[in-house]
Amino acid sequence: MAKYFGVDKIFAFLRTIKETGGIRASLYKIYRFDNLRPGTLVGTDKFGNKYFENPHYFYGRNRWVEYAPKYGMDYDGSQVPAEWFGWLHYKTDYLPTNDPTRPKYEWMAEHTENMSGTPGQFMPYSTTTPKIQAWVPPKN
Amino acid sequence: MLRLTVSRALNGAKSSPTCLSVASRYQSDQKKPDKIEVFIDDKPVLVEPGTTVLQAAAMVGVEIPRFCYHERLAVAGNCRMCLVEVEKSPKPVAACAMPVMKGWRVKTDSEMTRKAREGIMEFLLVNHPLDCPICDQGGECDLQDQSMAFGSDRSRFTDIDFSGKRAVEDKDIGPLVKTIMTRCIHCTRCIRFASEVAGINDLGTTGRGNDMQVGTYIEKLFMSELSGNIIDLCPVGALTSKPYSFTARPWEIRKVDSIDVLDAVGSNIIVSTRTGEVMRIVPRVNEEINEEWLADKSRFAYDGLKRQRLVTPMLRDNNGDLNPVDWEAALITVAKVVKHAGNSIGAIAGGFADAEALIALKDLLNRLGSEHLCTERTFPLDGSGTDLRSSYLLNNKIAAVEEADLVLLVGTNPRFEAPLLNARLRKAWVHNETDVALIGPQVDLTYHYEHLGDDPNVLRKINEGDHEFADKLKRAKKPLIIIGAELLERKDGGALLSTVQNLSTKLNSNEDWKVLNVLHKVASQVAALDIGYNPGIDKIKSADLKVLYLLGADGDHINKEDLPKDCFVIYQGHHGDRGAAIADAVLPGAAYTEKQATYVNTEGRAQQTLVAVSPPGRAREDWKIIRALSEIVGAKLPYDNLNQIRDRLDEIAPHLTRYGNAESANYFKQAAELSKKTESAIDCKPIDVKIKELQDYYMTDSISRASPTMAKCVQAVLKQKQSACN
Repeated sequence: MAKYFGVDKIFAFLRTIKETGGIRASLYKIYRFDNLRPGTLVGTDKFGNKYFENPHYFYGRNRWVEYAPKYGMDYDGSQVPAEWFGWLHYKTDYLPTNDPTRPKYEWMAEHTENMSGTPGQFMPYSTTTPKIQAWVPPKN
Repeated sequence: MLRLTVSRALNGAKSSPTCLSVASRYQSDQKKPDKIEVFIDDKPVLVEPGTTVLQAAAMVGVEIPRFCYHERLAVAGNCRMCLVEVEKSPKPVAACAMPVMKGWRVKTDSEMTRKAREGIMEFLLVNHPLDCPICDQGGECDLQDQSMAFGSDRSRFTDIDFSGKRAVEDKDIGPLVKTIMTRCIHCTRCIRFASEVAGINDLGTTGRGNDMQVGTYIEKLFMSELSGNIIDLCPVGALTSKPYSFTARPWEIRKVDSIDVLDAVGSNIIVSTRTGEVMRIVPRVNEEINEEWLADKSRFAYDGLKRQRLVTPMLRDNNGDLNPVDWEAALITVAKVVKHAGNSIGAIAGGFADAEALIALKDLLNRLGSEHLCTERTFPLDGSGTDLRSSYLLNNKIAAVEEADLVLLVGTNPRFEAPLLNARLRKAWVHNETDVALIGPQVDLTYHYEHLGDDPNVLRKINEGDHEFADKLKRAKKPLIIIGAELLERKDGGALLSTVQNLSTKLNSNEDWKVLNVLHKVASQVAALDIGYNPGIDKIKSADLKVLYLLGADGDHINKEDLPKDCFVIYQGHHGDRGAAIADAVLPGAAYTEKQATYVNTEGRAQQTLVAVSPPGRAREDWKIIRALSEIVGAKLPYDNLNQIRDRLDEIAPHLTRYGNAESANYFKQAAELSKKTESAIDCKPIDVKIKELQDYYMTDSISRASPTMAKCVQAVLKQKQSACN
């Protein structure tokens, strides 16, 4: 009956707020991600990003990531490590934790986010000698 | 090259026949005989007797190919490329050496002429290597062009016994000129230039026929300050530029007409650039200044523009180190200091300052209430001082030096202070029988002169008439006195100038002939004096300054000890040299190849440089820096672009914007009268000049001091002087 009148939507909404951690936390999540939706926490990566799934939504919207609080508003797609990228983009349905095909080698580098625009960005350098040699003032 | 000579000859023919060639100038004074008529390819032309076939052909626009002939050199007639057919003559004649006769019918495109040229071309190419693809002359080579135009379309050269072409050992004649002697076609232009124009008799030929070689007999440096010109003269790639070798091709370089500022002559130059870099500097023809020659420092010091450059503003920190900062920080700091200083601010303009920067700086300082604007170089202020232009210009103009019959040089060594003026003097000495006398240290001027000793009192004696030279001067129809600006920097400079001024008024001078000539050493001086800078830095030393603005002042005239301890020194310029080393703030400016700027040469001729490359890094055009600073200081200058600042120049001195025109000075008599008030007397201290020998010539300013090529030249000259065969 409740379903018929759509009252369950209200319950679902209230439940979502409760799961999120109250009105304040919900408002903050809407502020950060422009979205508030219920979902099952399926895993957390080593950076603290949380991965959710809710089959209630259609394909393409039913898996998402909530970036770790330390990123604040400065989150971007490159902060998702490679192992979770596959699951998040439906390349695989295995979670990285129980994926039998996933190789692990010692030489595999730690994931790094895109450093463009930060001091750690990659700068190509020229191997030719400069056309103009600047004066270097003598040091005292 | 070929096209250039045609147009030049044509223009010369149109304006006046006397400036056509050396040959016809001899006759200009005598009563002109009747002109004779000749026919070049059936076109009638009236020429003076004595004109060669080649010149007559040039008058009607017919170009006769040549290798050895050069209009500024003596006729050699040994390449035979200019053979033409003359009707009723059984053999073809060499057009460059043969004077025309009345009624001659010259055929420059007949079967016989063409066959003769083709034959000569074939002979030349038998022993010329086919290395055009790796030859630096490729693309601007007379032999290349003329073999395309006049040569055969096939070769009969088959090296059947693989003996190879003639091979000649390369000569080492110094760090400027590279020789690949196998390419030499024995036109002897370089030899004639060396002995006629440069006055160095080192080059010559050895052997004959197929074994002939051009060289210096024994391996030695070609010790001339004009050596670079033999590169331009060489019609093939036998003599090429060492610093330019294998760097660029003529079709890929961009050429910008500009002005040289490394001496006060203001030679016209072409700056060749590629990929935002100056690749080479070659002379541009200007009959009134440099003809088609260029001094070595002007030609080869361009690599100094790429080293020791100021590319970013800098401020001195608490440890006393200069640190790079951005423009905003630099200008705000400087403006704060300038504002705080009020009117106790002074400025010194160096040798490379352009008129735009000079006027902007003067306007700024005047707005701040200061009159402490000085040039690095001193000039006597006794009498009329610098108020009358006639006292500080080379009044008679450079080109007119050739007409003088007696030249008195006082305290100058024109060979190294203005090599192109010296080339003119030598030309006059060779062709016009000009006598030269010198008061000053005995130096090698490449021509003979009468040495009157280095005692300055000789000048006084000549003025008073009790010296034997005084009569000579009086008798001369066109006497010339050239006084070095360096001499006038002496304590008794005022007395010396006054003596010369009085002496010159007594001599044969009129509207068209001015006896008094001052030869400056730096490019900025005349413009600075025209604008109203005070010559000399005594005023700066005596004033208790809080801020000193150095506009490219690198001449080692001022140092920290001369200034109050808390004086803040701002250096604006393009090279990290003596000025930047003592500065508290460095503002990077543009060098002369990087800005459109006005320079006035020693004869008072305003000329402008054009932008060939952009200033490196954060460097900016000089007047713009001062304009930006003025806005932050709160004394905004009323010009925003080049036209507006040139209007301002025009307001102060209209001749500064009449480019190419040398504004004559007047009031010689008045200046001489005023100078009689000079109280100081001439000392007994012997007259000296700084630059006496070739090794002193190469590195004299911030650009040439930064140039590795110039350093190599100094080393080469010193090595040559030590060697046994000097």
